[in-house]
Amino acid sequence: MGPLLAHALRHTVVALTAGVAATQVPPPVDAGEFAQRRATHWAWQPLRDDAPPTAGQPATGHPVDAFVDHALAAAALRRAPPAPPHVQLRRLWFDLVGLPPPPDAVARFTADPSDAAWEREVDALLASAHYAERQARHWLDLVRYAETLGHEYDFEVPNAWRYRDYVIRAFRDDVPFDQFVREHVAGDLLTPPRLDDGGANESVQATAAYWFCEQTHSPVDAGKHEADRVDNQVDVLGKAFLGLTIACARCHDHKFDAIRAADYYAFAGFVQSSRYAQAPLRPADVQGAPFQRALTAQRELAAAWQDALAPIEPPPPPPPPRDGDRVVASAEDLAAGWILTNDGFGPQPWHGPLCLDPTATAPELRQLPGAFWHSAVAGRQREGTLASPTFPLTARYVHVRAAGQHARIKVIVDGFHLVRDPIYGELHKEVGNPDAHWLTFDCGAWANRPAFVQAIDQRTHDLADPKRERKSWPDDGWLAVQSVVLSPHREPPPAAAAPPVPPHAWTEPPTAVAAALGRLHEACAAVPVSPTLPAMVDGTGRDLAVAQRGDHRRPGEPAPRRFLQALAREGALATGPGSGRLQLAEAMTAEGAPLLARVLLNRLWRQLFDRGIARSVDNLGALGDPPTHPALLDWLAADFLRHGWSVKRALRQLVTSATYRQDSRRRAAAEAIDPANLLLHRQNVQRLDAESVRDALLAISGRLDPTLFGPPVELPRETIVKARGQPDRHGPLDGDGRRSIYLAVRRNFLPAMLLAFDLPTPFATVGMRNVSNVPAQALTLANDPFVHQQCATWANALLAAGVASGADADVRLTAQVDAAFVRAFARPPAADEVALCRDFLATGGASAWPDLLHGLVQAQEFLYLR
Amino acid sequence: MNANHIMSPTRRTFLQRAWNGFATLPLASLFGGGGAQTRHHAPRARSVIFLYMDGGPSGQDLLDYKPRLVADHGKPFPLPMEPTQFNDNGNTLGPCAKFAQRGASGQWISDLLPHLAGQADRLCVVRSMVADFSEHTNANYFLHTGHGLQGRPGIGAWIAYGLGCEASNLPAYVVLNGGLIPPGGVDCFHSGFLPAHSQGSVFQLRGDAVANIAPCERDPQQQRRKLRFGRALDEAARRRDGADAAIDAAVANAELAFRMQAAVPELTALDGESAALRAMYGCDDEYEQTRTFARQCLLARRLVERGVRFVQLTCADTRNDRWDQHGDLPKGLADNCRMVDRPIAALLADLDARGLLDDTIVLWGGEFGRTPFMQGDSGRDHNPFGFSMWVAGGGFKAGHSHGATDEYGYKAVLDPVTVHDLHATILWQLGIDHERFTYRFGGRDLRLTDVYGKVQKALLA
Repeated sequence: MGPLLAHALRHTVVALTAGVAATQVPPPVDAGEFAQRRATHWAWQPLRDDAPPTAGQPATGHPVDAFVDHALAAAALRRAPPAPPHVQLRRLWFDLVGLPPPPDAVARFTADPSDAAWEREVDALLASAHYAERQARHWLDLVRYAETLGHEYDFEVPNAWRYRDYVIRAFRDDVPFDQFVREHVAGDLLTPPRLDDGGANESVQATAAYWFCEQTHSPVDAGKHEADRVDNQVDVLGKAFLGLTIACARCHDHKFDAIRAADYYAFAGFVQSSRYAQAPLRPADVQGAPFQRALTAQRELAAAWQDALAPIEPPPPPPPPRDGDRVVASAEDLAAGWILTNDGFGPQPWHGPLCLDPTATAPELRQLPGAFWHSAVAGRQREGTLASPTFPLTARYVHVRAAGQHARIKVIVDGFHLVRDPIYGELHKEVGNPDAHWLTFDCGAWANRPAFVQAIDQRTHDLADPKRERKSWPDDGWLAVQSVVLSPHREPPPAAAAPPVPPHAWTEPPTAVAAALGRLHEACAAVPVSPTLPAMVDGTGRDLAVAQRGDHRRPGEPAPRRFLQALAREGALATGPGSGRLQLAEAMTAEGAPLLARVLLNRLWRQLFDRGIARSVDNLGALGDPPTHPALLDWLAADFLRHGWSVKRALRQLVTSATYRQDSRRRAAAEAIDPANLLLHRQNVQRLDAESVRDALLAISGRLDPTLFGPPVELPRETIVKARGQPDRHGPLDGDGRRSIYLAVRRNFLPAMLLAFDLPTPFATVGMRNVSNVPAQALTLANDPFVHQQCATWANALLAAGVASGADADVRLTAQVDAAFVRAFARPPAADEVALCRDFLATGGASAWPDLLHGLVQAQEFLYLR
Repeated sequence: MNANHIMSPTRRTFLQRAWNGFATLPLASLFGGGGAQTRHHAPRARSVIFLYMDGGPSGQDLLDYKPRLVADHGKPFPLPMEPTQFNDNGNTLGPCAKFAQRGASGQWISDLLPHLAGQADRLCVVRSMVADFSEHTNANYFLHTGHGLQGRPGIGAWIAYGLGCEASNLPAYVVLNGGLIPPGGVDCFHSGFLPAHSQGSVFQLRGDAVANIAPCERDPQQQRRKLRFGRALDEAARRRDGADAAIDAAVANAELAFRMQAAVPELTALDGESAALRAMYGCDDEYEQTRTFARQCLLARRLVERGVRFVQLTCADTRNDRWDQHGDLPKGLADNCRMVDRPIAALLADLDARGLLDDTIVLWGGEFGRTPFMQGDSGRDHNPFGFSMWVAGGGFKAGHSHGATDEYGYKAVLDPVTVHDLHATILWQLGIDHERFTYRFGGRDLRLTDVYGKVQKALLA
């Protein structure tokens, strides 16, 4: 061992010291160089799709084995014999569902380890919802999933967890992967969207993945903040799906790949032409009957009211515009390009009298002067956001004419949504006046920056809501917006007031009014309110310029939005007025299909064999590792595309191979030829990942709560680290027995136990986690109260089952030791191990059983998959 | 493709799966000590103590003497002002304490730091630091990791990764938590994409110093029995399945963890230190925060003595919002200086007396400095354009001042030193060339200094 380690370390040193010093900006890549890179690098080429080779050793008839055996034979190697059945089964369970096999599965498969029984086991696992949880956790690493924004205050991303549930459902339902990709790129724009059985829009939920970027509060330069955020969004898009480091081309043409700076800014243009929003899962159809009935009921109420009192005078026409004022958007002008999210503001601006709350003790009819986008047309419980198009701040003041209560209006500069003090407090105003009034924003500090006005009638769902300390807004918020005016004048423009609705003197409304109020209330209540989640919506489409040296203050040549030049068809994409992400999604899943398939299959391979066919799973570019089995990777990718982009089918194909099921034990002769096991002459030993360690402890103790989905689960408050943004919520030591994928993911307060086992910090795509080997892991398993708790729970269950069996003490003890080993290691103990246990129990005193079980989970066989 | 970029899968697999954590030590010791093989040249220093002044201390009041600032106090600030975090900028604000030249070297240090003034001849004061960010969190990530966003490894992690630890029962990178975790959280100390063993282990000063260090079992024999039982199973498995490097390393780590259970309490028990020494550090000062910081400084010395590579101290809470004096500047500075002044002076003297200062780099400073003009009526806002830090020991020039800000102490105008430069220089003293010290992540060979940084030879003796 010594010399081998010495050798390896010496080479480590060389590798550590051999990095290239990249102190200079590389020169632009000319057409010849670009074509050369495009033509010579494997990942840009069409899929080879060779037939599986026939030469090789004992043919299994499985295409995966045909490729692997062929390469082994060329090196005069043979595949290892199959692993013992219990080893295969434990490997399969952790790989596919992330849990240990239960005793009945162990008994079943060890009694009949036939191929048919294996396939039954595989199919059952792929059909289980736990498979989807497992696969989803891998996916969440790729999109740096987190439920907070990190940095100083670790603000929450409201409802981020719905994305996690979306991913689980998508894998459970085996949504074709190209559809999954389209939804991630442009799920908000797909027509029709994919709906779940309950009619909720699944597609839009994928776009939440754009918003797991970190965000700072109060950046001094919002433009730089936006450029950095978009960099991260493009980076994740590039790595997670395409396995390319597109973001490397932010400052200059890629140093090694056929990716130009123009490619980066083309991608950045798609993102920067889009906006953050809380989007509804089940938006009410504002043209549909229930919503229209509410609007009709409003008009009927107004008519009945006026019949009972007197006609209400219509508002006077607006005064002529003032010099210098520019109307950016007005409710009088439907072509103004307003961007609406959710259904709160109805199908069109409202004009005329309106009742905010038909169930109030003294219902009122109110009238605003002219046309307003109004969030209470179908009741105050409706929510939504209304935004203007993007415009440059060419004048100092932005005046917004509005009315409302418990609502707010923000000016979003440079796409910066965390609008609050310090610096940005001026760009955020509460609306707390039910009469039409002007809100004036002094934007002098942001001259000429791109901006838009966002009007928000939502209770709790704004990003980093400055009022979050209030926990929630009251349910009675509403908001009406008439116009956005850009102006050099501090004073707001002149405006007409609405004639008042004549006061009434009734104590009880007249019958006709009462009946109309009742109908309005019923109609409003019949329009369902949707939950929301963070999503992407289209903003004002615009191409970016290539920023020189990546500096957003130094724009250069324009970079029209399009797919990667190395893969795209000729010419720009026809993007239309919006962001163009829909067209990007189509190009990625058409021209980009071979690359998408290679990247995905390589990731699936990595899950099952510990190493990708190309080891650098997040980078198939020139700096990545070349594939060890290129023909196999291409065949798998082509087969995947031939069979409807089915992830389940692809996994099934891999785990039914003899290559997957082979033994991991070393054979000296084979090690000498293939010491790194690049040819897969045996399986690789894998350490359980962080979630599997915790989930396995819950599973073997019997505490696991298999409930799927839902809001994040809290653990006890972190005691070692106290810092800003620390949540006041906390939960029990065992997290209610829920699987780790449901634990709250706060960037600044990740669960210590999972961190010890290499849970990644969510900041970039991580397709291959670190597998560290540190004393903190041993300390966790030895001393963490959670581990002790689970061993005690397990001991109680084991002893209770023993008593219930009614067997005599000795028989019972043997059965209990047997059961403990099966739970921990998926196998019964060997004779010498039974003797060890008997000895331990005989001298262990009152805590002998929990101690024994705690000893089992500290044995490496618990932590490693052979 | 450049062959230099490629670590073969063999080597990388080995790195990820076996060359980890404290496991480095026994392995590295095969070569005769401390992972020195990753060094590019003969090291001048062995360890680093980073006295991290969270919040951004004010150079204008402590280290950067500007007569013009005194003269123009209260007058409109004459230079163009950059946007600031609060944009609530007022007139020129003079220092709130008197300055004097100290020691044989004549370095300017204000009356707020009387004990440190006594150590002036040991200090290399950099008066021309510049950073890239005006916001705490970005600036903290930048100061620690050379990058303004979350998730990158900090300098301590890079050093722990590159050099390992000389102690056999302690981590290479220890953060002594005085109570204030900086904005940005523990990610300032995280290993980012480097293997987890290189991350900073946060030691608490109260209760158990390390997470899960204390056994739950009341009887130590009970824990031993369990571990023996587990090891017996491991041995049976090894006989059955053969050796595996990762599993063997895990077994070694379990044993190291067991030893740490004793080593950490031994480290934190200060009974062995003389009463006079403890008094010199300020361990019985009447101000609680001084006592806390004194304990941290004394622990820092004990850690480097035991071979820990990188020790970082975070401040105790003086209830003045760290060194972030947006208001009430005189009181905040007085309290904070009272907390750190005596312990730091004692640390320098003690390290020197034990012959440790020569190969220990002591670094003092925060993520940025402060404005020479007023914020509100009694504060200073953030200023990354020119600020002061100091370094002592580890082959840095003693009794030396480097660079200068303008006559108001606003922006660095003479020999500016960037955070990347500082990182590069510290690595250099440890025997590492920052341009050749890389780690492959996400398809790129990443460095602590990104594509920047220049070793500042002018700071070195």
